[in-house]
Amino acid sequence: MLAQILASLVDGILLGFVYGLAAMGLSLIWGVMRVINLSHGAIMALGMFGTYLLFTHLGLNPYLAILLMAPASLLFGFLVYGVAVHRIINAPYLSSLLATFAVNMMVIGIGTAVFTTSLYNVDFSLGTVRAGVLALPGTRLTAALAALLITAALYLFLYRTRPGKAIRAVANNRAAAELMSIPSAQVLALSFGIGTMLAALAGGLITTFFPFTILSGSGYQSKSFVICVLGGLGNPLGALLGGLILGAMEGLIPIALPVSWVPVVEFTLFVLILLIRPSGLLGART
Amino acid sequence: MSTVLEIQNVSSGYGEVQILWGVSLRLEAGKLTTLVGSNGVGKTTLLRTVTGLIRPWEGKIFFQGRDITRLPPHTRADMGLVLVPEGRQLFTDMSVAENLEMGAFSRRALPHRQRNLERVFDLFPRLKERMYQKAGTLSGGEQQMLAVARGLMAEPEVLMIDELSLGLSPILSLNLFETLRRLRAEGLTILLVEQNIHMALAISDYAYVLNEGRIWMEGPARQVAANEAVKQAYLGV
Repeated sequence: MLAQILASLVDGILLGFVYGLAAMGLSLIWGVMRVINLSHGAIMALGMFGTYLLFTHLGLNPYLAILLMAPASLLFGFLVYGVAVHRIINAPYLSSLLATFAVNMMVIGIGTAVFTTSLYNVDFSLGTVRAGVLALPGTRLTAALAALLITAALYLFLYRTRPGKAIRAVANNRAAAELMSIPSAQVLALSFGIGTMLAALAGGLITTFFPFTILSGSGYQSKSFVICVLGGLGNPLGALLGGLILGAMEGLIPIALPVSWVPVVEFTLFVLILLIRPSGLLGART
Repeated sequence: MSTVLEIQNVSSGYGEVQILWGVSLRLEAGKLTTLVGSNGVGKTTLLRTVTGLIRPWEGKIFFQGRDITRLPPHTRADMGLVLVPEGRQLFTDMSVAENLEMGAFSRRALPHRQRNLERVFDLFPRLKERMYQKAGTLSGGEQQMLAVARGLMAEPEVLMIDELSLGLSPILSLNLFETLRRLRAEGLTILLVEQNIHMALAISDYAYVLNEGRIWMEGPARQVAANEAVKQAYLGV
């Protein structure tokens, strides 16, 4: 029994790293420009299908495919920012919700036309790593490691580089940043691009162990919201922590309850945290 | 004597509301010029117009002989027209060092970053002690020092300061005014916008008094301070 709990917990936490990575994209975009990106899930789905296509049709290793998708998704993020987000950046929240939701509908619509809504999977395995009572799928272990590395890279970027600091400055006080001649439009586009890239990368990593459809993104998007509320919106490290908590819950809940209860528990938690501690567990500014 | 910044007959406002009515003002190179007046007479509006945050309805603005009336704010900042905004507007979640680094973001300021950093730490040793502290955790006086320091990091040709002493104790204000005097002695051109008229007139070379959106009086600061009407209206004597 104890071994089973431990196995489920570790399994869930490994998944939690990937959830955290996805949520970080949502959190970054909110933190910098106060836009709730409703195309987040659709972009994750794009990441899944991008990985699938490169793997199935070009025979690339899925991790190489994900690596190749990084610059592509960054550019896609610039495009979405330029077309849909930039013009409503100072408008009330409803405008940005609608604009990003429209992007979501377009991606899902085109995706459904091309791929239908059938289930796809990336048929890839790295075997199983055994450690004591634990038997961990290699792909999940690799995905967790990749998510951790990407998080570390994001932190180094935000805290050690000039463009990264400019992103934090714009997030902190856009008017002052403009006075310092920091080009805020470019900085916002860059942030949106990075947020998009994180979502796509998370989507790509998920394909290495879960099957998916073009609609899968919406479930992960909801999870990203729960995670952001757990960790505090606008706080990337909080997103990772929130991801780990959610992952652990997903590992542990099915031991006691049927799997279909997982979202019920998750969203009950979501509402409770909003009621009790709306700034999130790590208490980021809102 | 050369004029660095010239505001010619500027009218400006927000929406339908006109705030400034034909304001003209000149900054001489290397001088400390002050623009004083009570709350709500249009001082901040004038600075916002000069920095390009709002467009003038009428009139022109020349900087180093070039018409900048239609240039966007970041271009003006790149030319060396630097504003220390009211309420400091620091990057409160970032460290003191990072705030200073962001001050030197422009292409113009970047090559001089190291030199300016040394100068700023020399002026405000306190900031060097607090280098890795978040700006939001500094005291009010330290935050104002940082705001001025961040402006200096931008390699200003003209440093415009909006309400240097607002919310600070008299001692802290006095220290900051002393620093301005020192900067002026080093040759920096400064436009100081102040509600603390007494102090501003005491340290400045030249003064403009703004009242209800118009220049009500101008002259060498000493003369303005000695003027009976000014004494009665503003200095409470």
